[in-house]
Amino acid sequence: MKPRFNIISLTSCTGCISTLISLDIFPQFLERIKINYFLFILDSDDIEECEIALVEGCISEETQINLIRKIRKRAKRVFALGTCACFGGILSLSNSKKAEPLSNHIEIDGMIPGCPPPSKFFGNCLINLVGNKDIILSEKNMCANCPLRGSIEINSHIKITKINPNPEEIRLGEENSECFLNNGILCLGPITRDGCEHKCIKMGLPCEGCMGPVSKDFTSNVVNFLSLIELSQELQKYTGIYNRFSKPKINR
Amino acid sequence: MQKIVNVCTRVEGHGEVKIMLQNDEVSLANFEFNVYRGFEKFLIGKRLLDIPKFVSRICGLCYASQAIASCKTLEDIYNIEISEQSIYLRRLLMTAELIKSHSMNFFFQTLPDLLKIFNISKNTLSPYELIKFNPQLTSNLYDLIKFGNEINEIFGGRSVHLISIVPGGVIYSPSGKLILLSQKYLQKALTIVEWIIEDFIKLFGNQIPPEDFNLPNTICLAKNNHGIYDRYSGSLSLKEDKNLIEFEAQNYTRYFNKEINLRGIDFFFENKKNVIVGPFSRYKIIEKYDFDKINTYLEYFNKSWTNNLLFINFLRLLEIYIESYKCIQILGEPSLNVRKYLPSFKSIKKNEGIGVIEAPRGTLIHNYHINKNNIIDEIKLFIATEFNIPLLNQMITKYAQELFDKTGDIKLVEKEVQMIIRAFDPCISCATH
Ligand code: SF4
Ligand code: SF4
Repeated sequence: MKPRFNIISLTSCTGCISTLISLDIFPQFLERIKINYFLFILDSDDIEECEIALVEGCISEETQINLIRKIRKRAKRVFALGTCACFGGILSLSNSKKAEPLSNHIEIDGMIPGCPPPSKFFGNCLINLVGNKDIILSEKNMCANCPLRGSIEINSHIKITKINPNPEEIRLGEENSECFLNNGILCLGPITRDGCEHKCIKMGLPCEGCMGPVSKDFTSNVVNFLSLIELSQELQKYTGIYNRFSKPKINR
Repeated sequence: MQKIVNVCTRVEGHGEVKIMLQNDEVSLANFEFNVYRGFEKFLIGKRLLDIPKFVSRICGLCYASQAIASCKTLEDIYNIEISEQSIYLRRLLMTAELIKSHSMNFFFQTLPDLLKIFNISKNTLSPYELIKFNPQLTSNLYDLIKFGNEINEIFGGRSVHLISIVPGGVIYSPSGKLILLSQKYLQKALTIVEWIIEDFIKLFGNQIPPEDFNLPNTICLAKNNHGIYDRYSGSLSLKEDKNLIEFEAQNYTRYFNKEINLRGIDFFFENKKNVIVGPFSRYKIIEKYDFDKINTYLEYFNKSWTNNLLFINFLRLLEIYIESYKCIQILGEPSLNVRKYLPSFKSIKKNEGIGVIEAPRGTLIHNYHINKNNIIDEIKLFIATEFNIPLLNQMITKYAQELFDKTGDIKLVEKEVQMIIRAFDPCISCATH
């Protein structure tokens, strides 16, 4: 029997869903499964029982808490799809709204991180899910396979003055072989999980951490990392760094 | 008074139709959303050059449009001209986004309605039935989505929330080989969309669309670059019947505005007519596409179509054709294939900036204000779907009233009004920014 899927969006930009539909394996994926619930493409009435629920978006409203519990109850396995569902995502920048990851309210069986999840990685995750296997995430950080090969020691000699190169300073491929941290630019590679094929770094921009931390909580990892290096006065207060993709656990 | 709420299906995002019943009559039907995220609020105080990548996350379908409108706004504040190469690349990324967005909407969301409306299928086809309905059409539409996606990946670095779009232009990285591949994709897209257009004509060309879907008298709003189809450059235009007004974006408050922290756009037209944006307005404002072939295709549709909401489905296909064609030319431009550095953002020249483009669903305006310390203190985003909502509600109310009068079947009304909503192709993610 084909595995039944519920594909659901909470508070999101729908980018993970649109990435899913654009994957070159999406037609085969549709054939190998049975869609029970997927409002984007199907007239569905209620969330029925299924083998796998893929949930995009964070929890920002009280009403979504009951919804996510129902999703959990009716699914054998639940997976958080995208950085919003895994860690809270972009809405973490808001002071007035909650941006909770699914795991604040239910147990999840795995996650597909990324904003959006990188296509190749996403495709492999789907193949695993259809085959009733788990999703395997890399245990390495971004630096491990970084094309800039930064065998850099993380200490207070690293002085960060920028979170991005200025537009005119952006350098690509052969033009740049220096780790961003050595140039005073904040790269979250050391605490971020490998798996995106260094997409930003290859475009001359530092890692922003969208794949999430290699271990444990997002924000505490960022804070720990920043406490080891020297951050300019101006940047120390900038919430755009700390709350880029997640909030500290206490005020999610 | 009785209130009936129904969740919309086959739309992008979470929206509901609310129908009010009073004395056994429909008094109002409204398309509504419950969740607002508050981007206009939480972006205040953020670093100016960070805004584009944040606003990209407003929408996973209009990501390039959002980011580019934002970059244009910053370039206005810093008075920066971007290179010809960057303009080409922005157009290319916008086209790839449009191909994806229009194709997804056509296949998964509106095609099942069209087939049912014209009695080609008895009931609304599920995705599985749809795939089997015409396998060649299916694989052609999948291919279009794939081509759009691949071009975004090649030139943008990702399928959505493109990395290469930054203030000052587009980071250019693809190899010659990938450019050739993109050219091939677009050439194939052109052949495919031609086939789909002809199929559309075969299926629907000699039918008469239902009058319930006729657009009432409206005011069209779109960008206008000397009457040429262009979603990136130009001023803005309003058009009602034959009367056309052209104006520069910075004067928009003469015609419409919005209150900070309040939902919706206020229009200042004396005749209180509603506004429409998107492919329909783009077409009405330019009157003629600059392609003979396209104009021949248009001749298949008589007056009963050209003022009908369902006609927009056809216009979306034409836009895919026109833009694929133009982008093949862009990819052959010699000035595209050189590594260029981006301009520097040294000093702020104005305390306010405006950036306008045509997103796939219509006019998108970003307007930022900065204070004395050069910190952003006010953000206004005018989103295509927000422009269309009053008209959409006007149409679904009328439709619901008449259908309920005729049938007395509220369940039917709940389902059928959604066809109008889908024909508008609302972007709920954008509208709930
Ligand atoms: S993770 Fe990113 S792409 Fe996915 S829904 Fe959230 S903001 Fe959109
Ligand atoms: S810090 Fe960033 S640039 Fe440096 S090695 Fe790690 S991932 Fe690469």
